[in-house]
Amino acid sequence: MKITRRMTVVGFAAMMAASVAMPAFAADLIAIITPSHDNPFFKAEAVGADAKARELGYETLILVHDDDANKQSQLIDTAIGRGAKAIILDNAGSEASIAAVQKAKDAGVPSFLIDREINATGVAVSQIVSNNYQGAQLGAEEFVQLMGEKGNYVELLGREADLNAGIRSKGYHDVIDEYPDLKMVAQQSANWSQTEGYSKMETILQANPDIQGVIAGNDTMAMGAIAALQAAGRNDVIVVGFDGSNDVRDSIKSGGIKATVLQPAYAQAQLAIQQAHDYITTGKAPAEEKQLMDCVLITADNADKLETFALSE
Amino acid sequence: MAGFSAACAIMLAGALALGGCKFVRTEDEQKRAAAGAFNPERLVAEIWDTKVVPYLEERAGPFEDVAALAAGDPDAAGAKYGHKEKQGNAPWTFAARIDGTIVAAETKSRAAYVDVDVDGDSKADVRVSIGPAIRGTAIRDSLDFVNFNEFKNQIEWAQYGKSFNTHVNGALLEKLPREGLTGRSIKATGAYPLPAGGQLPQFVPATITIGGS
Repeated sequence: MKITRRMTVVGFAAMMAASVAMPAFAADLIAIITPSHDNPFFKAEAVGADAKARELGYETLILVHDDDANKQSQLIDTAIGRGAKAIILDNAGSEASIAAVQKAKDAGVPSFLIDREINATGVAVSQIVSNNYQGAQLGAEEFVQLMGEKGNYVELLGREADLNAGIRSKGYHDVIDEYPDLKMVAQQSANWSQTEGYSKMETILQANPDIQGVIAGNDTMAMGAIAALQAAGRNDVIVVGFDGSNDVRDSIKSGGIKATVLQPAYAQAQLAIQQAHDYITTGKAPAEEKQLMDCVLITADNADKLETFALSE
Repeated sequence: MAGFSAACAIMLAGALALGGCKFVRTEDEQKRAAAGAFNPERLVAEIWDTKVVPYLEERAGPFEDVAALAAGDPDAAGAKYGHKEKQGNAPWTFAARIDGTIVAAETKSRAAYVDVDVDGDSKADVRVSIGPAIRGTAIRDSLDFVNFNEFKNQIEWAQYGKSFNTHVNGALLEKLPREGLTGRSIKATGAYPLPAGGQLPQFVPATITIGGS
């Protein structure tokens, strides 16, 4: 028992020594840390960052924190230990992530945040923030217009623990609540999930057959909702999503979902790599730490130009 | 003895003052915390007359000039009449003055508007929001003295943007007539974002006068 423990300690010390020694051999590493790639949005971020980093001659370390702040903290340790020159991070919580980013900064590793922001400045070098609120307002304005400013509607919310679920819902209601003839008859979380979007929509439809619209906090839930509505023969119900996925693009083109909002995931990940590269090579940070990336409304008019979270000119 | 008691009295007064001071300070902190709570509508009201309207009046060019320059060279128009955040991908928002004639009005929508002809060809050149619902955040985005980086997060930044619309609605738009608008003259100073191709500029007024026909 005692020997085992001592061996573990020795092993740990060796590992520490190894990780301290590593940086010299991994001079060109950039760590790319995002939520789970199960959601194609986050995958697009990782792919976009990876491609740009390789183009600029870096090696990459691609990791996922699954929206778990503890796991994120361990991954930051890994990135520091591996001697990363920079960390590209789509973080696991606007408050919980401040300490993790600070830890990297203290270890001399600059962080470049993408998509989600943290509630602190001066800790990350840059924060390239998806303007979820502006995007939600765009989606809601389109929804209001499609609904003719009246009727009963349902809102499908994202996972409640996720800040963006709240931001998007707030953006939706900021617009929709200005129209008193639009009545929300049900509001439920479907946890960003397509299968839950389907089952929740099925149940809601049974209790509220008199609905004219569904506004969803993301595209996967919108996909679930439209499938349930179509299965019930309700092709008349207006569905609007959020993210700009290829699935929803195809649904829009075939007359299913009416609109979504594109977040430029691929482009902002590439921009973060460029800023990291500039910082590594010249020591120059971008003029402003927080940079808002506006979203773009996607309808039948421009769905053709959408591919993997990027809109061609 | 007299000196001693005087010193005592001073010390006592000092102690009392300190005690009192402490109590007041706690109360002050509470007040300050309450006052420090984010109140975008008050922030907007505080700068509207003193900074926002003067800035737009000074920065604005005649709509025809702004639109003509923006159509050919948005960056040149932006440098002269516009503003946008230094980083990020937001488009230019321009300050402009409108002096024209209303050629169409949509007042059934909550996001009501009038279409205005400024060059005398009887065709709409710009769409002016008349509320109560106002789309976008043109007024906020036209100002060079407000900046996303000074706000806690995008929620507060968005609420701040919406508060300009709320203010415009309460201060100007609610008082406007809603009937018989077509054919009447209109003067306004305000802002609009660079329009998407083929769309009318969506103008949000900061001052507006609707005259006779």
